[in-house]
Amino acid sequence: MFVFAIAVLFKLCSIQFIDGDKYRAMAQKRSIKAFEIPANRGNVYSADGSLLATSIPKYDVGIDAVTSSDNNFKKYIKPLCDSLAVFTGKSSGSIERKIKKARNTKDQYLLLLRNLSYSEFIRIRSFPLFKLGSIRGGFVYSQKTKREHPLGSIAERSIGYERIDENGYATRVGIDGAFGKDYLRGENGRRLKQRIGKGEWKPIRDANEIEPKNGYDIYTTIDVNIQDIAHHSLLGQLEKYEAEHGCVVVMDVKTGEIKAIANLGRNREGKYYERLNYAVGESHEPGSTFKVMAMMVALEDKVIDTSTVIDTKNGRKMFYGRPINDSGAGHGKISAAKTLEVSSNIGLATIVDDNYSKQPEKFLKRLRDWRLDKELGVSIIGEGEPVIPKPGDKIWSRNALPSMAYGYNMQLTPLQTLAFYNAIANKGELIKPRFLRAVKEFDRNIEVFEKEVLVDKICSDETLLKIKDILKNIVERGTGERLYSKTFSMAGKTGTARADYANIEEWLKDRKYVSSFAGYFPADKPKYSCIVVIHKPSTKVGYYGADVSGPVFKRIAQKIYTDTPLIDEIDSVEFQNPQVVQDFEKFNTISNTYKTIMPNLIGIPAMDAVAFLENMEVKVKVKLKGSGVIKSQSISKDKKLKFNQTIVLEAS
Amino acid sequence: MIASAHSADKKVFEISRMSNEVKELHSAFVDKRGRLMRLKKESYIESEMKKKGIEISLNPPIKIKVKSQEQ
Repeated sequence: MFVFAIAVLFKLCSIQFIDGDKYRAMAQKRSIKAFEIPANRGNVYSADGSLLATSIPKYDVGIDAVTSSDNNFKKYIKPLCDSLAVFTGKSSGSIERKIKKARNTKDQYLLLLRNLSYSEFIRIRSFPLFKLGSIRGGFVYSQKTKREHPLGSIAERSIGYERIDENGYATRVGIDGAFGKDYLRGENGRRLKQRIGKGEWKPIRDANEIEPKNGYDIYTTIDVNIQDIAHHSLLGQLEKYEAEHGCVVVMDVKTGEIKAIANLGRNREGKYYERLNYAVGESHEPGSTFKVMAMMVALEDKVIDTSTVIDTKNGRKMFYGRPINDSGAGHGKISAAKTLEVSSNIGLATIVDDNYSKQPEKFLKRLRDWRLDKELGVSIIGEGEPVIPKPGDKIWSRNALPSMAYGYNMQLTPLQTLAFYNAIANKGELIKPRFLRAVKEFDRNIEVFEKEVLVDKICSDETLLKIKDILKNIVERGTGERLYSKTFSMAGKTGTARADYANIEEWLKDRKYVSSFAGYFPADKPKYSCIVVIHKPSTKVGYYGADVSGPVFKRIAQKIYTDTPLIDEIDSVEFQNPQVVQDFEKFNTISNTYKTIMPNLIGIPAMDAVAFLENMEVKVKVKLKGSGVIKSQSISKDKKLKFNQTIVLEAS
Repeated sequence: MIASAHSADKKVFEISRMSNEVKELHSAFVDKRGRLMRLKKESYIESEMKKKGIEISLNPPIKIKVKSQEQ
């Protein structure tokens, strides 16, 4: 017995003193825990303050099929399933079978619906059985924070997201992705808490160990209205031409702000959605939209003038053993300006080959000066690399230069082409396209983004004037003729480039094109520049840049035109008529002096006379005969009026 | 000591209830705002109005500015 007592005492001491620290730490671990306090991710706004991306709670709803009493279960299961059937569009019977099966197998959590918005969640919660709550009704839900784009699929790819998987590897798409780390994310906080019942934890100290820092809000340059129009007109054209994918970008000429950017690709079911950021990421052979750059090099070097005669032959000309073709029967001898208006491949190839074949470096240096060989360095991750070949490169040959003249054997992204056209519209100043206006914490600016000039002046005013004239003429009488509108002006260049033509036989069997249109509007005082690129339209419907991409451009130009009111100034219609002034004063005097006695109304317009009597402090009845000016009154002037007295007025 | 511990606990429950409410209200706000934004979209209005035979004007509205004579 004594030995036993010693043993107990020994164990007691050993627990208390020898292993004491270990057990105390264990106890603390069970009841005290460090909680991560997640920082709220900032919102992404459009230029006018519409929400583009925000974090909101989403709900998963399930049922504990076991907890409800037999009585309630029997009574409500049918109406519940009917309600769920209406909500989901599935059949009521199949839902009922699923729930009954869960009850039989004692399943405490059967997931019914995922990713419900709050209002949907509230609706579900009021369904029969669920109304009874979690214990009696078996209503189970969990809430998680999700990134939401309230505008739906519009500009989804450019607004983007940031996703970090369990290995810490981040996928960063669009603006949300690009600015996640620096601005939106914020910093998580930490707080020690002690367990208290009901599954709740109580903070141990007043303040957090580490305070969470909420992310900043981002204001983009996107204009929701222009974006909406751009998105839907692009969608319309893609559907009409059954194209593979396409993009449209609208840029503010003076500031470089991107007002709209839509990227739509087709999925297997033939539906279009924001798939990849083609405008930023996809570099491809630009085709005829590049002729403008080629022409500008020649004009700036003064090797040609707009009136120089170029022989474009009969639609086919050999360059170093390789033919270059024009569509149609050829244009013969035309002016240099005309080669661009009719988009003659031979014309541009001839201009460039005649003047630069001996000194390609001179041609290429201009392109480099215009930064066409470099990425723009936009904030969205994954910008496509431009390709401008030079002597010594694998893709360089004698044919490289004439090919480049009409936009082949080289690559640019739509955004890079747009930035250049924007420079033409912006008096030669090349600006970096910009997606962000400001980073804010509530109303306080954290960072404000200004325009970034890449090249102060790409060429002389003379060259600009000439090229602007040609771009305007393209829409008035050239390849963009079908887009011409009498009411508003546009300037731009069409492009119809072959795609995937490496195997020419394959290509001839199934012709693939890239149709584009780049330009700006209004033609004389450019406000916005815009590019539309549509890949692989169905050739059965059409493939010319003016037909496929042009209408998207036109629709946006038209929208902006119709949104800006025309202002008509006219001189004031107000004038002082002495008669009116006199009448007005007389009216005032009468109504101010005569409150209970009859005024002299003779000679006063009937309408005024009635108004006087109705406004008297004494209530009277008025009978008016005729209209016009009062001739006689049944009660003579200065007589005191009685309540409900009838006054007969006769007017001419 | 015990009383104040309990009152602190009570506050914790209250805070968690209220922060849930904040979440719900924010969610409801975004939900409604998103709906409003979709309804406000020109493309939506255009498609709704098409049913009534109203189409987008090809000409902008004209704003009449009246210059006062007393200048």
